[in-house]
Amino acid sequence: MKVTFKSWNAVAFWRWDMPADDVCGICRNPYESTCSKCKYPGDDCPLLVGDCNHSFHMHCIFSWLRQESSQEKCPMCRQRMSFNGLPRCLIQEV
Amino acid sequence: MLKIWSMKQKQQQDEAASAGTKKKKVTAAQLRVQKDLSELSLGSTMKTNFPNPDDILNFELTIEPDEGMYRGGSFVFTFKINQNFPHDPPKVKCTQKIYHPNIDLEGNVCLNILREDWKPVLNLNAVIVGLQFLFLEPNASDPLNKEAAEDLKVNREGFKRNVRTALGGGSVKGESYERVLKK
Repeated sequence: MKVTFKSWNAVAFWRWDMPADDVCGICRNPYESTCSKCKYPGDDCPLLVGDCNHSFHMHCIFSWLRQESSQEKCPMCRQRMSFNGLPRCLIQEV
Repeated sequence: MLKIWSMKQKQQQDEAASAGTKKKKVTAAQLRVQKDLSELSLGSTMKTNFPNPDDILNFELTIEPDEGMYRGGSFVFTFKINQNFPHDPPKVKCTQKIYHPNIDLEGNVCLNILREDWKPVLNLNAVIVGLQFLFLEPNASDPLNKEAAEDLKVNREGFKRNVRTALGGGSVKGESYERVLKK
C-alpha cells in the first residue's frame, strides 16, 4: 500500500527544564506560568538562573535588582547576583 | 501554516484596545498578598481583621501572647502594603502606646525584616512570626524605646514589673501607657 501525504501539521510541546511544582520565590507563581505582570508564558516571560543557582522569573528578579535596597543581592541567599559572571546591568532585558 | 505568532499578536492588540474600557486589573501586589494571606498560620494567639473587605492591602493584626512577659496583652498592628510589594516590605505599626524596647511610643516597630533585611522571598507569615517573637523575646540591643531597653538590660525583674504596669494602663517613669489587657 502506498501512502501519499497531502499535508501535515506539526504540533510541539515544550516546558522549562525545572521541577514542575516549583514556584518563583518573588511572585509565588509557578515557573511554568508567568510573572504577575505578564499574560503569556515562554519567551515573553523567561526564567533566569543566577550563578548562585537560584532562579526567578526575569521580570521579578530584575525589578528587585533595579531597586536600591536590593544591593544587587539574590533574595534567597544574599550573595551578589550575577548571571554567567555578568552583573545585571550588562544583561539586556526582554 | 504556523499562525500562532500572528494570532498571538492579534490577541495582544485586541487586549491593548480593550484595556481602557475594562474594569480595574488585579495588580501583582494584590495577587501576591492574596497568596500570602492564604498561607498564613496564625494559631490561637493571632487574628486578622479587614476593615474594608475589598482592600486586602490594608488590614489589622491582633496578637494576644499566651506566654512570656507580655502574656494577657492584646496588641493591634496595622499593615499597609504598597503596590511595589513584595519588593517593598509592608508598613507595620502598633496602634497602641505600649512599653517595649523595640516599639517606640508612636508605634513604630524595629524589626530587621521590616527594614534593611527585607527581601521579596519573605512573606507576610515571616513578618507576623517576627512580631510575635518580639513579645516573647524583647531585644535590648538596637532599641527604639531606649529607656525600656535600658531597664531590660540592667534589671530584668524590674523590666517585667514595668511591663505589667504598662499593660494595665499605668505609667512607667512618668510616661503613661495605654491599657491593653485582653478583655
